Order: sequence, then structure tokens, then C-alpha cells
Amino acid sequence: MAETVLHVNGVHRRYGSVQAVDDVSFSLARGGSLGIVGESGSGKTTTARIVVGLESADSGQIRVRGTGRTGRVRGRVARLARAREVQMVFQDPFLSLDPRVGVEAALRETLRLHFPGADHARRIAELLDQVGLGTRTRDALPRQLSGGQRQRVAIARALAVEPAILVLDEAVAALDVSVQAQILNLLADIRAQTGVGYLFITHDLGVVRCVTDDVIVMRQGRIVEAGSTEQVLSAPQHPYTRLLLESVPRPGWDPHAIAAARRALHHTASPSDSTNGQSTVHN
Amino acid sequence: MNTQEKHASCASTGSVTASPVLDIRGLRLRLPRTARPVLDGVDLTVAAGETVALVGESGSGKTLTSRSVLRLLPPGAGTEGAVRVAGEDVLTMSAARLRALRTGTAAMIFQDPRAAINPLRRIGDFLTESLRLNTGTSAEEAERRAGELLVAVGLAPAVMRQYPGQLSGGMLQRVMIAAALMGDPALLLADEATTALDVTTQAEVVALLGDLRDRFGTGLLFVTHDLGLAATISDRVYVMYAGRIVEAGPADALFARPRHPYTAALLAATPRLDAPQGRLNAIDGQPPDLKAELTGCPFAPRCVHATGICTEQAPEDRAVTAAPDGREHRVACHHSDRVTGSADHG
Repeated sequence: MAETVLHVNGVHRRYGSVQAVDDVSFSLARGGSLGIVGESGSGKTTTARIVVGLESADSGQIRVRGTGRTGRVRGRVARLARAREVQMVFQDPFLSLDPRVGVEAALRETLRLHFPGADHARRIAELLDQVGLGTRTRDALPRQLSGGQRQRVAIARALAVEPAILVLDEAVAALDVSVQAQILNLLADIRAQTGVGYLFITHDLGVVRCVTDDVIVMRQGRIVEAGSTEQVLSAPQHPYTRLLLESVPRPGWDPHAIAAARRALHHTASPSDSTNGQSTVHN
Repeated sequence: MNTQEKHASCASTGSVTASPVLDIRGLRLRLPRTARPVLDGVDLTVAAGETVALVGESGSGKTLTSRSVLRLLPPGAGTEGAVRVAGEDVLTMSAARLRALRTGTAAMIFQDPRAAINPLRRIGDFLTESLRLNTGTSAEEAERRAGELLVAVGLAPAVMRQYPGQLSGGMLQRVMIAAALMGDPALLLADEATTALDVTTQAEVVALLGDLRDRFGTGLLFVTHDLGLAATISDRVYVMYAGRIVEAGPADALFARPRHPYTAALLAATPRLDAPQGRLNAIDGQPPDLKAELTGCPFAPRCVHATGICTEQAPEDRAVTAAPDGREHRVACHHSDRVTGSADHG
């Protein structure tokens, strides 16, 4: 049994009248890969942001390698240590890279912040090699790179601090199919080499099948189904998971049946869900 | 009601041998500071009541092609060839005819409805504005039509009094579709119209577009990067790469047995629910730069089947096995016989 690097237990988060995250619990093994799937408003991104520390939870615990992450940290050293545990890769690398900073300089800045005093030249070369960026791109600015190359830079920068967990929020959603395949293969290689764990947020079930061992399905802030990816995708138990699977266009696809199923699920599930949501707020 | 009846009768009688609603012939489009045409001899047709998908990756020219149908061209663009909508060439028509085309014959649904709808105006104003300003239709008549179309796209007429911010993305995309139908278009251009939607919402919008096509006999050009969606919803598919149509044919034939190495490679690179698990077959390399001249086949540098001829001579577009119902399957590749790959890996 692999060691657990991430433990999320009973996390809640409310924005105004919306229970965005409602009693969410899961764990991630060392070197494991967990997918969170769901549609807009399911709470998957809020959950990811809480794990990273970009949002705070109203209640519940998050532990990384056994250490709690929910309270506030004091001081620069503790903050940096917390940042090193979990790193995040966003959907649009163009927005997460400084347009005026070259590839090598961006990596050096991160390394300097976290490991001051050391010589970073070798580590930079190693990281660029790891994400498949040639030496020619070293001095390139983000706008001189393709979308796939930019995402490689973002991944290299996240890996620079040797995180235990990489949170990937729709990290391949904006890429073209041919480039997306390159990045998905790259992510599989990196996980095998470094033992970093992935929390993979996506709406694309094909991608989930490709890069995750386990998956949780979220709807209206709650987990409606969880299990091994193989099992959930081949034998979905919850009607919502079935609807998601049936909605993926493929031969024999019937959009009318999906539309009808969607409305049926919406009418039966919504009222009870919202009352349940309210009853768990004060836990 | 009379407008809808007119369309219904079109759908029942036309569509068999009628001239296409969209006929693009040899479209070449050049932009300033580029070494090769961004669109390089595009041929494409859409018949009345037909759904056609135009598939390609970023920079392939698929969006430029669809925008050229409304003559929405980038500044400094130079064009050759013809883009005929209902028999009339869009590229040479007068400003007045163009205005009539954009408000009537052809309409476009864009990817992001929030970017296309004024957030400060009510939905009703948005829907009726074009009809009132351009055709002299009375406000009352325009509102009645808007109400009808909102019902047709599955929304309540009361939505007219709401503001865009009060509607979800899926509802707004329905409003966009209703707006596109206000002028009774013979041709509907959907540019990644469902890309920003959730999968279940996408299914609903696709079902809706299919119903409207059947009811009004509208020709539908669906521009998308999503091969699975293209395969599922369209009658015919065009695959675009570096400004050229590299393969075109009936959707089922093209996906069951792609004849261009790029189509086969794209299918193999797509993470799918029904393919074997494991590494994806990524396509190495990048599409060709617009700043470099192109000789030969644009896909040659990334192609596993490429030989000497591929880099020297551009492949002619030619018919391969015709589908049983006579619809043509065409491909531009010197070695299409070697393409054995289908959707399967390896």
C-alpha cells in the first residue's frame, strides 16, 4: 500500500447562497493520479484551489504528507515550505507566465526564491530536458512560444520546487489535439520518473481515462461517485456519471435522449440536493 | 407563421438536387507579411438541409474560411476564387447586398455568446434589433418572431425581458441561435458554437440545431476542432491543414477509414473512451509557419509516410473510393494507399 500524500477530509466552502464545495473527502497516494470531473459549477475548481491554498475552506481538513494545511501560516519560510508541497498548472499558460520574462529566467527566479544560494544552471538544464524543451527556447519570451511549449514551461516551473503534488486545472483543455497528446504523454513520463502525485481537474472523460488511476465525479459541490477510473468509466453507478458518459459524442450518439435525461436528472435531483446542502453548512 | 411555413415547404421539396447554399471554389486568401496564402485553394460546399463539419487545429484556416462566407476578413486580406452563398459571390457583391446577406441569407453563431451580446441591453432588444433596423419590420412583428424562436430553442418568451447576466452560458447560446435564425437564414455557420459549453449542454444545443435544420431546411457549416463531435453530427466532413483541405468525404467513411495521414494521426492522438488505454500517438512537430514558403505537401515534415516527392510536389486533390451512395471521398496525398490507420492505435 502506497503512502498517502494528500488527505482531504470533509471540506466545505460556501459563497453567499451557493454551497460550492459540500463535504468533499478524498485522498491521493504517493505517485498516484486522481481525476476530478464535473461540469461548470460542480465545485471541482474550487476544490483544487482550496487544496493549493488559493481559497480557504469554511470547514474540513487538508493534510499533505500528514501535515495540516488549513490554518494560516506565519512567516516567509513557512509560506515557502507550504508552496513547495503543492504546485498548480493552469489552463492558459499565457496568463500564468510573465510576458517579459524568458524561459530560463522564469525557472531561475522560482529556484532562487525557494533554494537561495545554490547554482541553478544544472537544474534548469535538467528541467528543460524533462519537459522536452530544447536549448533553443531558453531565451524565448512566452509570446514567441507555441501553446504547447508554454504549457511545458509552466509544468517545468511547477516541477522546479519538487512538489509532492501537482494540481492540473484543465491543463490540456486549451491545446490542440496533436499537442495535447504530447503533453499527456509527457505528464505520464514525469509521474513515472519523479513520483509526483497528480490532482487532475478536467471535464474531458477521454483525458481522465488517459492520465488518472482513480476518479471522483462532482456535481453541485458534492462527490456523487468515486472509484478506480477503469471501474467508474466502464460501470458507472450514479445517473449523473452515466449522463456525462453518454454525452460524449461518438457513433450512435443520441443528443435528444441526452437532453431528456439531463432534464429528468435536473428536476429530480436539484431540490433535494439544495436542502441537503443547507443542512450540512453548519457541520 | 408564414415565414416558418415557407421554410418548411423548402425543406420538404428541395435539398435533393438543388444548387448548394454555400459553394466555395478555389478560395485563396493572402495576408500582409506572410510568405504563403493562409487559405490555399479551398473548395467546399454545403447543400440545403445538410450538416457539414470543417475540422482542423488552431491556425489551419477553418475559422477564416467560415468568416469569409460573411466577408468578415482581416485587414489587408487579398482574395482569389469565389464564395457563393445561394448563388451570389460574397467576395464581389456590393455593400448593400452584403448587408442583406449578413442580416438574412447567412448567419453565424460564435463560440462565446457573452462576447457577442451587449450585457446592458435586454435579450428582446438584442433579438429584434437587426430585423427592425435592416428590414423595416415593425417592432411588434419582430417581437412576435423573437418570441416564437425563443420557444423553438427551448426558452420561455419571458426571457426577452431579461438581461444577459441573468442567463447561464447554455441559455445564452440558445439566445444566440435564436438571434441567428431571426433573419430566416438559408445557411447557418457555427464556429466552435458548443466548445465552451458543458458536454450535457452541448448535446442539447446539437439536438436543437438538428431539429431546426430539419424544420427550416437550413444548411449548417459546423466549424470545430472536435473530431468526435464532427463524426457524430455531420453528413460530410472537411479536414483542413495549413490552409488546405487535405481530406473530404462522408463522415462515416472518413472516420472509419481515413485516407490522409493527418486525419489518421489526429484520430490516433485523440484520448477516447473506447480506445485501448496507454500512451497516445502524439504527432511530433508543429504546423508550418506562415512566414515560410511551402513547397510540396504541408504535412510532409510530420508525416510517417513522407518520401522525396512529398517535399517537392504538392499533392493533387483526387477522389478515392466513392461511398456507396455516390458521395465523394477526396484526399490530397501522394501516399493515401499507405494510410492503413483508422481510429485504432498503432
